Amino acid sequence: MQKFIVWLKTITFYEILVGMKATMSHLLHYKPITVQYPHEKRILPDNYRGMLGLLRYDDGTEKCVGCDLCEAACPSRVIRVVSSEVPGEPTKRYAKEYYMDMTRCLFCGMCVDACPVDALGMSREFEWSVYDKRQLHLNKDQLLAIGDRSFPVREKRLELQHPNVAFFNVSFSHVPPKPN
Amino acid sequence: MTELSLRLAVSLAQIAAVMGVVMLTVMILTLAERKVLGWMQDRMGPMEVGPYGILQPIADGLKLFFKEDIVPAGANKFMFSLAPILAMVPALIGFAVVPFGPSHKIEVFGITVEPFVISDINIGILYILAFTSIGAYGIILGGWASNSKYSLLGGLRSAAQVISYELNVGLAIVGVLILSGSLSLVKITEAQSGGFWHWFVFALPAPQIFAFVVYVISAVAETNRVPFDLPEAESELVAGFFTEYSGMRFAFFFIAEYANMVLVSCVAAAMFLGGWNAPYPGTILAHLGLESIAWAENIAWFTVKVYTFLFLFFWLRATLPRLRYDQLMKFGWKVMLPIALGNIVVTSIAAYLFPKG
Repeated sequence: MQKFIVWLKTITFYEILVGMKATMSHLLHYKPITVQYPHEKRILPDNYRGMLGLLRYDDGTEKCVGCDLCEAACPSRVIRVVSSEVPGEPTKRYAKEYYMDMTRCLFCGMCVDACPVDALGMSREFEWSVYDKRQLHLNKDQLLAIGDRSFPVREKRLELQHPNVAFFNVSFSHVPPKPN
Repeated sequence: MTELSLRLAVSLAQIAAVMGVVMLTVMILTLAERKVLGWMQDRMGPMEVGPYGILQPIADGLKLFFKEDIVPAGANKFMFSLAPILAMVPALIGFAVVPFGPSHKIEVFGITVEPFVISDINIGILYILAFTSIGAYGIILGGWASNSKYSLLGGLRSAAQVISYELNVGLAIVGVLILSGSLSLVKITEAQSGGFWHWFVFALPAPQIFAFVVYVISAVAETNRVPFDLPEAESELVAGFFTEYSGMRFAFFFIAEYANMVLVSCVAAAMFLGGWNAPYPGTILAHLGLESIAWAENIAWFTVKVYTFLFLFFWLRATLPRLRYDQLMKFGWKVMLPIALGNIVVTSIAAYLFPKG
């Protein structure tokens, strides 16, 4: 009897009919899961890690103090920082040159975590396909431009922070915490 | 002399009309296949060109037309150019004997014209089978002349597959030929008039339901469609026999494949599903007293049958994985062939015991 049922299923293409029923039900209850990408875009999650950018303080000065910690933190050697003194102010340093080779970046965000002055930020940009991959070797001006257009709200430079002193955002008991 | 040239002109006009309809159908099919497959797989299919992507076939055609025509180094140039033509011409030439509508005659400038069939030759179905076999040569030659291993493998597979499955197509329709007593597709269609119980799939004394199933499966195999798409198995042979083809030559192979699909659908509709006959006696328009335009209803029924069959091709493609090569051969020779032969025996006995009035 069992054999007969198996035989009956074989000659009536039972399994194939089950499969065809499945595909037909998908056709009848048509609900596409694709997104028509350039026309409609997904909502990015809040912690999305996109293109990197350099940030400024509200008075337009660069946050970066040229400490090289981001370069040290980067696992794929994306970042190259050339640090130097601010001309005429031997106590203050800044990044004279700042390069990012975004062809290698894996968007782990470790540089952002490593930065002591929160000078790096990850924007929500991701459409960075280019025709020439040399266009992905970004210099300081381009990174600052990304930061400017992605982070319009800038952090206030603290009064306590002497403009000539590199201020690290570690907590000292005699310094009030940063206003958020 | 004038009559001869007039006949020539009328025939050419008919051929142009049928070619136009077939090409239009092929265009619709390329879009419909991608759309239906997309819908069945929870995708959208082409959406960019025109509203809902309906202009996609035109964009594809333009793209293929302007693409560079590459002949690979080491290819046999003559055979390489001949193969697409040899694949496409037989696929289109078969439509000459397909009756698209009832055989009512009209008079044009004093000569009698049957508008819905180009030529009613008395060996119609044999003619179609013969030319479909020639189409296989195009595939084999294309595979051989490309000087590529993938192409050669695809061509060889196609040769073996077409031979084994064309046999089954031929044997599956023998039952219909016994019942109708004719090889002409027009006569076969006319023998099935008067309601769906007269169609040869269901007709007493010998319903051809098994022959129909054999025919459908063999037709899918013969047109190299999924699940029998071994000659062009994308995951194994890149694109099989047309791996090396580009531009218009590739388009020729593509059109040939889809035209073959339409042709086997037309033959299936004409042989088993009553052709242009409605599934009820006569036509509604004729019952309403509009005999002069009753052909429109007949053509609509033919179109519905053909497109239902073509939808079955897409449906199978969305559902089934590809067969292994030995499974394909085993299925063709050990399952399909005995069923087809048994069907012939049963049909012959039934036709002998219950001869038609």
